Amino acid sequence: MVERHDNTFFGVRQKRDRMAQALPEWEDLREAASQIKKHTITHLADYLEQFEQNATRNGVHVHWAIDAKEYNQIVFDILQAHGVKKVVKSKSMLTEECHLNKSLEKQGIEVVETDLGERILQMMHLAPSHIVMPALHVHREDIGETFRRLIPDFDDIAKGYSAIGGSPADPNDPTFLTYVARMHLRRQFMEAGAGMTGANFGIAETGDVVVCTNEGNADMSTSIPKLHIVSMGIEKLIPDYRAMGVFQRLLARNGTGQETTVYTSHFRGPRPGGEMHIVLVDNGRSSILSNQEHWQTLKCMRCGACMNTCPVYRRSAGYSYTYFIPGPIGINLGMLRNAMQYSDNVSACSLCCSCDNVCPVKVDLSTQVYRWRQQLDSLGKADPMKKVMSKGMSLLFNHPMLYSGVLRLSPVVNWLPGPVVACSLNPWAYGHQMMKFPDKSFHQLWKERLL
Amino acid sequence: MSSKEQILSALRRHTRETYEMPDLTQLTPITYADPVAEFKQKTTTTAGARLIEMAPGDDLNALVRQAYPEVKVIASNLPGVEAQLNPDTVSEAQTLAQAEVGVVRGAIGVAENACIWVPQTMKERAICFASEQLVIVLSADCIVSNMHEAYACIAASADFFQTYKFGTFISGPSKTADIEGALVYGAQAARGVTVVLENNL
Repeated sequence: MVERHDNTFFGVRQKRDRMAQALPEWEDLREAASQIKKHTITHLADYLEQFEQNATRNGVHVHWAIDAKEYNQIVFDILQAHGVKKVVKSKSMLTEECHLNKSLEKQGIEVVETDLGERILQMMHLAPSHIVMPALHVHREDIGETFRRLIPDFDDIAKGYSAIGGSPADPNDPTFLTYVARMHLRRQFMEAGAGMTGANFGIAETGDVVVCTNEGNADMSTSIPKLHIVSMGIEKLIPDYRAMGVFQRLLARNGTGQETTVYTSHFRGPRPGGEMHIVLVDNGRSSILSNQEHWQTLKCMRCGACMNTCPVYRRSAGYSYTYFIPGPIGINLGMLRNAMQYSDNVSACSLCCSCDNVCPVKVDLSTQVYRWRQQLDSLGKADPMKKVMSKGMSLLFNHPMLYSGVLRLSPVVNWLPGPVVACSLNPWAYGHQMMKFPDKSFHQLWKERLL
Repeated sequence: MSSKEQILSALRRHTRETYEMPDLTQLTPITYADPVAEFKQKTTTTAGARLIEMAPGDDLNALVRQAYPEVKVIASNLPGVEAQLNPDTVSEAQTLAQAEVGVVRGAIGVAENACIWVPQTMKERAICFASEQLVIVLSADCIVSNMHEAYACIAASADFFQTYKFGTFISGPSKTADIEGALVYGAQAARGVTVVLENNL
């Protein structure tokens, strides 16, 4: 399981490398992207006003939400005003952050996720374990079992598949299961009263919302129902089409190792006879801007590359983190959300700095993790055992006489009975064989010229 | 104070150092000696689409019929294409899900990634996504090397976003790898894409 997870995501990382190496201007693109984001974020109020003006001129209704509660209420009010009972929705980490689905369902509105991975998780009542490939940890057998149990017309769909593709040898064949999901979701698109999408980018100069998908589910969600609601974090804004060229070229190459997503859709206004709403959500983002050490997390465009490369993420998977966004960016965003609640994630980092080198907008992810660790003590979250050890080490290393004395005595430990050494005060002994202390230390060997 | 005012004033209050917009003219993106050849190659390999070349004087309708001989329901509003469904006149978008083949026109092709800019030129754009198979007609004269050039064309043109406020880049058929990372074509939108490349005199 761990090995499969590790290999899958490192495979994505390698695809990303091939994409990067194929473009001579790759590093210039990253630098440009970083600078564009820095510029936009430090002029964000102006750009948001420009975006709102242009979107409004295009016939879009623009709403502002200061927090998750207000955001959920705005969405509910729009849906209620249109008498919507069912919503089809493409993937949005913002709605996850604000717990929108739960809020709508409580008020009697059915929410159907339409990204295949998200739909699988929704049916299985699981949380995403990655922000771009959310269900890669789920096995095909469990997906097949879930579909057979929860899709009412599964057998009819399977018959239809036989008619076009023949019966698969494996009842949980991914091609077959994708077909089942396609037919199941088609019905949802037909019946839904509204389509919801996130936003990969908002373009201030034109008022466009840009959504990138491979499945086309955002486009299905918005070309069939007449009501379209966009949920957009305020940091998603970029100035213009010139900037858009930079980000479009980076996003898929860096995130999934593709030259482009299949669809890069620009929504500039409502459909004929339809309505389009954009909800601009702050939910803590404006305060991140004031944080001198961490404001650059706002540059993140959620490509997921930092997870794919992270040796800790690859071997531990998404659920080992307590914040809903895992990996290096999730550690930092969690701390910015609530440092007291999510501080345990900062230890999920070996400070190898690989994430810094793959980030398409040059967020200094590992440096930020390091900074959070420096603050743990002031938050009262430092490990007391480590504090004692640090004090002990400081005493030891600042007193050479004491150090060499202890060093000379260390082989004594070899003669102590096992249970005394492997007691609970010695964390090394947990899951480890205690090592043997050598009779002569490195210092002694060096002095005696034995090396 | 409204939420909008609160957000904007918090942003202004919290902005410390400001940064300039970089000079993007300094960026030298990849270009191809023969963008059309590169576009064709990317279309049929990484994008997973089929490509048919159309010579001057060829009949588009005949080409579509030839490409999909068994098909009974075609949707299109292009002149010269015999279609059973017209995206301009269907009473609701749902109807277009019955289309076995949708035929639309693309405006710009991009060599680096086989993207085709498909502006909405029909009342119901569901034709581009809900049709089982999608045919995109593109003139070989309209192929650029990279996305920077494509976006510059869109920004400079008065042809797009006028009647209908939507446009999309499409690169091949809908696909997913959400089940154990296995690549499958035909997720929610078109299961297959055929690009008809018009070679002009």
